[in-house]
Amino acid sequence: MSVLASAALAAHTGKLDLAIRHVLAGLGHGIHAGRERGAGVEFSEYRAYAPGDEWRRVDWKLMARADRYYVREAERDSHVAVWLVLDATASMLEPSRSVEGLDKLGMARLLLGCAGAIAQRQGDAFGLLVCQGERAHFTPAARGPRQLQRVLAQLERVDAAGTLPAPEVLRASLHFARAPSVVCVASDFLDWPSPLSEAMLRLRGMRHDVRALCLQTEAEIAADFDASIAWRDPEGDKRLFRFGRDVRAGYARQREEHFEMVARQCRAHDIPYVAAPIERAPADTLRAWLQAKRKAPGRRP
Amino acid sequence: MNSWWWWALPVLILPILWHRQKREQMKAVPLATARFLPSSRPVQLRTWRLQDLLLLLLRCLLLATLIAWLADPVLPWRGDSVLVVPGTPPAFVDRQLREAGLTDARRIDLPHRDAYRWLHEHEREFDPQARLLLVGDVAMPAALPRLRHALTVRPQAVPAPASERHVAVFSQRVDAWRKLFAALEGPQADVLDAQAGAKTELLIWDLPHAPPPGLRAPLWWVADSRAFPALEKAPQVDGLRYLDTPQGRLWSAPWLPPQDAAAARTLFETWQRLHLGVQPHTAPPQAPVVDARAPAGPNGGALRDALSAALLVLFALERIATHVRRR
Repeated sequence: MSVLASAALAAHTGKLDLAIRHVLAGLGHGIHAGRERGAGVEFSEYRAYAPGDEWRRVDWKLMARADRYYVREAERDSHVAVWLVLDATASMLEPSRSVEGLDKLGMARLLLGCAGAIAQRQGDAFGLLVCQGERAHFTPAARGPRQLQRVLAQLERVDAAGTLPAPEVLRASLHFARAPSVVCVASDFLDWPSPLSEAMLRLRGMRHDVRALCLQTEAEIAADFDASIAWRDPEGDKRLFRFGRDVRAGYARQREEHFEMVARQCRAHDIPYVAAPIERAPADTLRAWLQAKRKAPGRRP
Repeated sequence: MNSWWWWALPVLILPILWHRQKREQMKAVPLATARFLPSSRPVQLRTWRLQDLLLLLLRCLLLATLIAWLADPVLPWRGDSVLVVPGTPPAFVDRQLREAGLTDARRIDLPHRDAYRWLHEHEREFDPQARLLLVGDVAMPAALPRLRHALTVRPQAVPAPASERHVAVFSQRVDAWRKLFAALEGPQADVLDAQAGAKTELLIWDLPHAPPPGLRAPLWWVADSRAFPALEKAPQVDGLRYLDTPQGRLWSAPWLPPQDAAAARTLFETWQRLHLGVQPHTAPPQAPVVDARAPAGPNGGALRDALSAALLVLFALERIATHVRRR
C-alpha cells in the first residue's frame, strides 16, 4: 500500500521538480556513483547563484562583502554526458488500471527527471531527446541547475502523440554521441525492432552505456482487462480488439515472447534492460535501473 | 379515419435503433498492448446506452408531432356546458340553469339556431362525462339526433323580430296592389315605395312600356308582359312565366295582380319559399338517448396550426443539432 501511495503521490504531484525531490529524498545517496565527490576541492571560479544550487556551496564571506550570492565552482569536469531519451508516442499514454492518474508517460518523465537531477548533482552534462509524433525534439547537453530547469520544463511540456520518428530522423539526431555518454532510454518497447531500438543498438555499437527502462502496467503483467468493452491500438488503425477469458492465455504468451525477445537482444548487446511496472515506487525502479550491472563493466571506454 | 395514423407511432423505434447502433460501432478504448490480442469485429453491445440524447429526443419528437399532425387530434377540453341559441332572453337562460342544476356550467353562445348541427361538428371537444343543456329557440332537426353526450333541450319559441320589406310599385293600379299587401299577415311589414332603391326586394312593373335599363331588383312581378318581349318564350310553371335577366328575376302572369284569395296565397307562399327560405320550427323539449357509438363529427383541425408550428421548429432544431454534431 505504501508502495502504491508513493507512485500515486508522484503521479499527483503537479510539479515535476517537487516529485523528483520527493523520490530522491527517499533514495538517500544510494546511487551517487560519480567519481568526483564534493564541490570545491580545487577552486576554479566564482559563479552567480542560481536557484537550485546547494546552499553549502555559497561563499558566505564573499556574500558579506559583495551583498550578492556567489557559488564556488570547482574543477570537476566529468567527461561523461548523460542523455535522457523519452519515448512519447501515443502508446505511452497507457494508464495504470489500478492507480488513478498514473500513466507510463508520467512515470517515464519522473524517472528521467530524477536521472537528470542526479547527473546535475554529479556535475555531469546532460541532454534530452524526446521522440514524439514522428519527430525528435533535441535539447543539447549542458551542465548546471539551469540546464536541469530547462530539461524539466521540456519534460513537463511533452504530450504523447503519434508514433516513433523515422530511422533517418532519429539517426540525424544522434550526431551528439561522440563523447562517451550514458544513454537512459525510457519506453514501453512495444515496437521492437523499431527506429528507437536500432538507434539504441547503434549507440551501443559506438560503445556508449545504453540503459533501457521498459515501463509496464500491472494489468498488462497480470493480463487483466475489462472484457466488456472493445479495445483499439492507440498507434494502429481503427481495428478493434477483444479481451476475454479465452484469449487471456494467448495474450500473456505473445506478450511474454515479445519482451523475452527484447530482453534477449539487449542482453546480446550488453544493454542493461530493466522492466518495471509503473505502480512500483519510483525510487525502487530508479535504483534498479541506474544500478543495473553490465556483463563486462571494464569494457567501458 | 385520421385516428388510424396513431398506429404509425411504432416508427419512433427506428431513430432509437439507429442511435443505438452508432453507439456500438464507436465505443473502443485505447490499449497499448492491444496488438497481443486477437482482433475482433465490432461486437453488438447489449446495453441500451444512448448517445446524442438531445438529437434522439428531437427526432422522436419530430416524428411524433408529424403523426399527431396527420391524425389531427381533438382534445376533449369542454366540460359541462350550456349552449345558448342567439336571441334567447338572459332571464330564461338563468331560470333553466337553476332548474337543471348547472349553474357553474360553461356558457357557449351558438352562432346560429341550428344547434344540433353545431353540436355534431364540435361534439368531440366535449368531455365524455359532460352534461349539456341546450336553451333557446332551437331549430328542430329533420331526423332524431344521435348524440354521445347527455343533452337536455329547453326550447323557447321566440317570435321573429319585426322587420320591413320594401316593395317598389310602378303601376296605374297602385290601390289594388296596396290592398293585396295589406291583406298579408306575418311578422314582416311591407312598405310600398313609388321608387326603387337599394333596399328594394320586390319590384312590381305594371306598365306596358319597357323599364329604364338602370332599374334593378332581386325579383320582378311583371303584370304586363308587353314590357318584356323575351317573356313570351320563357318557361312557365302553373301559369307563371319566369326569366332571369341582368336586371333581376322576372315572374310574369296574366292574372297579376291576383283577383282571388287562393291565387294571392299561392303567389305569396311561392315567393316565401323560393326567395326567403324555409323558417324552421322550434324543437320540442326533449332529451335524446345517449348513444356512445354515434358517428363522430368532422375533425376540428383546432390543433393543426400549433402542430404545424411545432413541426417547423422541431425540424429546424433537428437540422441544427445534426449539423453541430457533424463538425
